Amino acid sequence: MIEVRNVSRSYHRNVDEVHALDDVSVHIDGGHFVAFMGPSGSGKSTLLNLVSGIDRPNSGEVIVAGQRLNDLSEDDLARWRARHVGLIFQFFNLIPVLSARDNVALPLLLTSLKKPERIRRAETALRVVGLDHRMDHTPRTLSGGEQQRVAIARAIVTDPDLIVADEPTGDLDARNAEDILGLLRQLKHDFGKTIVMVTHDPRALRFVDYALHLDKGILLEGEDAERAAEAIRIAAGAHPH
Amino acid sequence: MKFLGLIRANLGRNKLRTVLTGGAIMLAVVLVCLLLTMPAGLDALLSNIASNTRISVHNKGGVVYSLPYSFTRKVRQVDGVAAATATMWFGGAFEEEGRVTFPNFAVEAEHVGAVYPDYKIPAEQLDDFRRYRDGIIVGRQTMRKYGWKIGDRITLRSTVWPVNLDGRIVGEIPNDRSPIVWLNWTFLDEALKARGGTGLGIANVVWVRATDPERVNAIMREIDDMSRNSEAETACETEKSYFANFFGSMKAFLTIILVVTALVALCIVFIAANTASMGVRERSGELAVLKAIGFGRRVIFGTLLAEAVALSSVAGSSGVLLAIGLTHLLKATTGWSPTLGPLGSFIVTGPVIVQGLFLSLFVGMLAGVVPSFGAARKPVVQTLHEVF
Repeated sequence: MIEVRNVSRSYHRNVDEVHALDDVSVHIDGGHFVAFMGPSGSGKSTLLNLVSGIDRPNSGEVIVAGQRLNDLSEDDLARWRARHVGLIFQFFNLIPVLSARDNVALPLLLTSLKKPERIRRAETALRVVGLDHRMDHTPRTLSGGEQQRVAIARAIVTDPDLIVADEPTGDLDARNAEDILGLLRQLKHDFGKTIVMVTHDPRALRFVDYALHLDKGILLEGEDAERAAEAIRIAAGAHPH
Repeated sequence: MKFLGLIRANLGRNKLRTVLTGGAIMLAVVLVCLLLTMPAGLDALLSNIASNTRISVHNKGGVVYSLPYSFTRKVRQVDGVAAATATMWFGGAFEEEGRVTFPNFAVEAEHVGAVYPDYKIPAEQLDDFRRYRDGIIVGRQTMRKYGWKIGDRITLRSTVWPVNLDGRIVGEIPNDRSPIVWLNWTFLDEALKARGGTGLGIANVVWVRATDPERVNAIMREIDDMSRNSEAETACETEKSYFANFFGSMKAFLTIILVVTALVALCIVFIAANTASMGVRERSGELAVLKAIGFGRRVIFGTLLAEAVALSSVAGSSGVLLAIGLTHLLKATTGWSPTLGPLGSFIVTGPVIVQGLFLSLFVGMLAGVVPSFGAARKPVVQTLHEVF
């Protein structure tokens, strides 16, 4: 499903060159729920941007759902994302002037579906995330957990091959965070979705199939990865919330 | 069309700002339309009333200098002249107002109909004008302004001649924009004689209608030749040239109007552009997410631009409607202005409406294009980095 081969990515920040990823290779099979974990600046968000087609590598190869993303133009990548990727962000980022239903239907505006069908699919997606009773509510009248559910409904409404979540629990309390992680796992089980998530949240380890640990732009493997996982488990024990 | 709901919702997100920006555009369009009515009024006047067969014969020194009335008879004998009438400014004030509120002239009742066949005054009304010395023919605009009707008696107190004339309306110039009032030449002539004067022996302008447009230049040459070396040499010109020269002094005024119009439009572009930029800046997070979920650069650019254009178009259309309403109100309350002449007519012509609508479109496009392009062109990853 996801094949990342010897990918490097660097940015220019003022006069400095920041090496966000250095020769990283990852393989993720379809239908898995995987977490990218690591400290700030480890390159996990950069890797997520690469596999979701938001960014392109300086070198190496990114192939997702059979599509090599390196050579696609900005517009082609946008079209590809609209068809194949559902995105979930930390701060929900819903359109405040639209109802939950209209927010969920937004990605469908890029399809050739007629309005009644767009509405029907948006309502179905909202039912899947358990918000069928809040369809007409605007984001301001929804709780943080509900807003993130709307964002998840927006991510699945186009039935994408890949769901990508960037710190989806970062702005939620413990109970809502667990609900959201449970919902993502349920999407994997019920619909066979491939889900890739960036998170700092140690609770995520209980919900994902496995985690990939990054540090300073390098994918940790072997003992290094185990040490990183252990550190997270200890942190989770020290901070049960 | 499917993005219409999104555009409408975005316009409604900050209602006060939308209303204030729309209001600024609307008022600018009203102002521009009102200013443009002035040159449009002059253009409309020239193209509507100026005939290609009509000639103005007046003193070479200008219309304030007169011609001998007897010269009119000589003019009629020139080959190719179909009809000619002497005209004299009466400067009559309608008694209720005490000031000149419409142009009024003494004309020769026997000839005026033949000089102005394009005015389409009914034949029986022209017959009555010839038959009754106190007959008056009134343009429809003035008729409507005062609520006059044929058969009404009105008194005009001249601000030029030492007479008041009490006459009866016998006919109407059937043109909504015509403020003109014609009095019977004989009526004024006899009124002046009755006061011990010598009568109306002079004319301001002799209006001539040629039988054929091809003959106009030859007729003008012949008439000017006839008067050469006389006490009142003439300067003939076509009706269009006459009116254009008559209002020539207003050209500088019109230029100023057009410059002010352009500056007003420019100010509004800046205001609207600033508002559009603020709107885009406030929504940078949402735009980043839209891009991330697959909204391409064209869609982002198109929807943002459409917002700006939709707002300015609605505001501009309202402005045009308001301008039309205001001009009707102005026309009803002020009518013909002796100071502004045709410029005071405030005619919102079709071209003025189109210009007003185009202005609003132009404001929307120009104001929206820069922030929309700026928001659309940034790569999605850069937008996300800036926002999150």
